[in-house]
Amino acid sequence: MNEYDEKWEEQINALLDGDLSARDAELLKTEATDDRELARAIVEAYQLQQAMDQVHVERAPRSLTKRLNAIPREHRKRPSFSLLQPRWAMALAAVPLVVIAVSLMRPDTPSASEIAQARQELAIAFAYLDKAAVITGREIESTVGNTMANAVTGSVNKVIQSPNLTSKEKEA
Amino acid sequence: MSRKYRQWVKEYQDQAWTVARYILKDAQEAEDATQEAFVKLWQNQDKIDPNKVKPWLMKVTRNGCLDRLRRRRDNVEFDESYMAGEVSGPMQGAATSETAVWLKRAIAGLKEPYRSLVVLRDVNQHSYEEVAGMLELNLAQVKTYLHRARKQLREQLAGVRP
Repeated sequence: MNEYDEKWEEQINALLDGDLSARDAELLKTEATDDRELARAIVEAYQLQQAMDQVHVERAPRSLTKRLNAIPREHRKRPSFSLLQPRWAMALAAVPLVVIAVSLMRPDTPSASEIAQARQELAIAFAYLDKAAVITGREIESTVGNTMANAVTGSVNKVIQSPNLTSKEKEA
Repeated sequence: MSRKYRQWVKEYQDQAWTVARYILKDAQEAEDATQEAFVKLWQNQDKIDPNKVKPWLMKVTRNGCLDRLRRRRDNVEFDESYMAGEVSGPMQGAATSETAVWLKRAIAGLKEPYRSLVVLRDVNQHSYEEVAGMLELNLAQVKTYLHRARKQLREQLAGVRP
């Protein structure tokens, strides 16, 4: 072997890897017959390959296998969305607080429907009162006479006509 | 995802361990380095091309081992028990013939990147293309370095043979 070392090394390795074409293999063989060093290199390369065949991938120890299998358990990935995440827990906890705050801030003014319902209930109540006044008037009339009855029913009717006015307001 | 990871452990743990064992020459450290590589695999599994998991893992294992070597202040004594070929238990099944024991010692004694090249190509039997990817070398560099590594081994072998 001389300055052609690299070239022959390449050829020898290709030969061992099974990548050398038949033509190049024949060329190498021819060359080796005249070059003792090259011939010896080829023989040694074969010997190395034979020795290498006895060196195998090592079996990983059981302790390592255990450690590797434990990795998914020990290095859990944080899920991208979870109700258990702090920010979500805080947001959920804030919801009832917001509801309470909104209800506390709500004004006392009744809604239009509530006013309408109240008016309806009031009208019914006044209708009953009106009826009651008429009945009462009749009973009084039959008992004490017409003059007295008019006085009583008249005062009741006044109340019905202006129910929301206090006595002081009436005076005014 | 965990099932896929377990499959990777089953398929590649021996090869990663072998790389770490040859480079670090220390069983405990080799275990740690292999574990670190698999932790990275677990954490990056969504980003790795499923067809390139093996070369990715070998590259990460090797790089981790080389980092460990660089961090070593003193040269750690050669682990003779590993090379003695008389180890039982986890090392059972390793080469037992005299030549194989000698060769393992010789491979472990090579310098980088020769050692990794021989382990990845000749021991682990990865393709040239895979080895090129693992070591971030081009194909021509892989072949040239491997020729040199093999030549060194060949010459050493010739020296000890009768």
